[in-house]
Amino acid sequence: MTATMGTPQDTGALVRGTAPAAGGGQPARPRRSRPLISYGRWWWALPAVLAVLLIHYVATAGGAFYAFTNWTGIGDFDFVGLDNFRRILEDPALIGSLKNTLFLAFGFLIATNVFGLLLALALNRSLKTRYVLRVLFFMPVVLSPLAVSYIWKFIFDFNGPLNGVLAWFGAEPRTWLADPTLALWAVLVVMSWQTTGMVMVIYLAGLATVPMEIEEAAALDGASTWRRFRHITLPSIRPSVAIASTLMLIQGLRVFDQVMALTGGGPAGATETLATQVYKETFALSNFGFGAALALLLTLIMLVFSVLQQAATKDRS
Amino acid sequence: MTQHRHRGLRRIGVLAAVPALSALTLAACGGGDEASGSDGSSGSADSFTFAFENASGGQQNPWQLLADEYAEESGVQIETQGLPPDSYGLTMRTQLQGGNAPDVMMFSPGAGNANAVLPLAEAGYIEELGDESASLIPEGNESLFQIDGKTYAQPTDIIPVGVVWNTGAASDTGVDVPADESAMLDACGTLAEDGKSFLAVAGSAPPNMGLMAMAISATRVYAETPDWNEQRTAGDVSFADSEGWQATLQTIVDMNEAGCFQQGAAGGGFDAITQGLTQGTSLGAFVPGAAATELAKATPGLELQVQPFPPADGGESYLLASPNYALSINASSDEGAKEAAQDFLAWMAEPENAARFTELQGGVAITGPDENLSPVYEPVADLLENGDYAPLPNLAWPNPGVYDALSTGVQGLLAGQGDVQSVLEGIDQAWDQ
Repeated sequence: MTATMGTPQDTGALVRGTAPAAGGGQPARPRRSRPLISYGRWWWALPAVLAVLLIHYVATAGGAFYAFTNWTGIGDFDFVGLDNFRRILEDPALIGSLKNTLFLAFGFLIATNVFGLLLALALNRSLKTRYVLRVLFFMPVVLSPLAVSYIWKFIFDFNGPLNGVLAWFGAEPRTWLADPTLALWAVLVVMSWQTTGMVMVIYLAGLATVPMEIEEAAALDGASTWRRFRHITLPSIRPSVAIASTLMLIQGLRVFDQVMALTGGGPAGATETLATQVYKETFALSNFGFGAALALLLTLIMLVFSVLQQAATKDRS
Repeated sequence: MTQHRHRGLRRIGVLAAVPALSALTLAACGGGDEASGSDGSSGSADSFTFAFENASGGQQNPWQLLADEYAEESGVQIETQGLPPDSYGLTMRTQLQGGNAPDVMMFSPGAGNANAVLPLAEAGYIEELGDESASLIPEGNESLFQIDGKTYAQPTDIIPVGVVWNTGAASDTGVDVPADESAMLDACGTLAEDGKSFLAVAGSAPPNMGLMAMAISATRVYAETPDWNEQRTAGDVSFADSEGWQATLQTIVDMNEAGCFQQGAAGGGFDAITQGLTQGTSLGAFVPGAAATELAKATPGLELQVQPFPPADGGESYLLASPNYALSINASSDEGAKEAAQDFLAWMAEPENAARFTELQGGVAITGPDENLSPVYEPVADLLENGDYAPLPNLAWPNPGVYDALSTGVQGLLAGQGDVQSVLEGIDQAWDQ
């Protein structure tokens, strides 16, 4: 009886070894030791767990250790306590890098989510060419960030196409990537342009779960487009919002490739981020200890903002 | 129960065997053959490994050509490793620490660059060289190659740094090499009106900004005070208080305002320099003299010469010139490989081989200008012969951060960020760290 009452997919009783004995009568005594069907043992994962521990966590902890030293990458080192962190907080250039990192992270989060959602809404239903357009908008995602950045560098060049187009309208040419006020925005544009397609796909997956009947019922009741979006669509795609915003925030906080390819952190540090400073201090200037402190700080910032963001997008219903 | 216990023991055995086997495998990979040498650097008296910077990645690199010639002449096998310049210093540091560094390595003298030799020598990774190598060090450059009188690197040739001047384009536009700063600023205005520029610079590439500042500092700082770096090390002077360095950076600001640089210079890359020079839209550029030879070879009909940067009004011409590359031997190499490496360095020190390398690299002989001096250096031959030159300043600076502060600071001046004084204070801060 138990078996016939369940759904065809319900194999829980069988797997747990609680199925009645064949031929009816007294049910078999449940065996606690082993299920009838099992797919593995916890220790099978031990080599992988050990590898993750060694490669990720022990290595990271080892890197964090150097944050409290003055190691130059070669030879001996001394413990300097919190000196590296004090130096970070006292250096206006590094505070500027922190501000740039936060600007790019939140600008990237907002831009990709707003444009990604708009594209997803526009290409969700009805439009005949939506499949072609989805492919076109997603294509930049599969390209290498470096390749994309070098193409945009050409576009932003003083003698490049952007200034050429502006010249048609009589505008003065600009040094987009060498202007301290414009360069950071240029980096943000390139980052957002390449990744919006990814966010669009996440939202398209979310929109596919929104029941059309409810939207149609709301429309028949006279709800405006905005009210339908606000009260039906948005609550339904809340998991997609959480995923997209978390991914974009983390990606924005650790931006590196685009900055290095477009500006190298210049002009004079105007587009420097924590990630580029970590690279520069560690590998270009051989300040391994200081670079490790910067990396640790970046990790902590990413951790804090990820937790805050998760809390902000948590489904409280 | 017994079967259960046996099965349990077997599971525990398997559990323990997996990481144990992994650890043993890793140990076997990392351990190597003790008998083969103290570390990964292997070799015998008839072979050695040799690493150098190779920006283009091609086989026409002067180090590669020289190694090929030596291998052919001596029968010694040389395994070469040409690496990109931007990661060269880091790679060598990592390999030296890992015990698998090459036997012979190209370095930058002093301590001011990421690929500098002295910090590695201080850490005990570099073999001490003999008197033959020491005898090649130009007078006044000892501190770039030696620690406590012991030599750790052998210089190869001298590279002058000034303004690489397109003589053909200059004569087409009717502009002579300016005698001083005022004449230069006048020439800048004239050229800008014709849609050309006096200089092409790579504003987006900080190293080019740093080289420009150093080339200008030759006349503003080092002509009057050749031992300025020593004074700074002793704490007697500072960048922020130095009139010479203030004048150097102010010259850059004045040049920018006078239109001396190509349009969009702040965002220009190295391609702007090569295009400007080869197409004649810019008359000069701040690139090492050896690059002028390379550019001239690559562009038929292009006439390039190295000129000293115009001095301040009333000042005298002065130049930067120093051995910018040096060869060292890995202290951890096998004795056989060390012997082979030392033979190679001795071969390089021989006058005809040194001359050959000078020709290949496009520099000046380590012993000074001679009858083989490239025509590219004709305008600065007198300065070289009279000793009116100083080593590239950053070679003697204490860490790469000083040059980085200068480079990015000048980049900011070109982009309208900061001022002369704040840039100089930033350089002092980098020096003191």
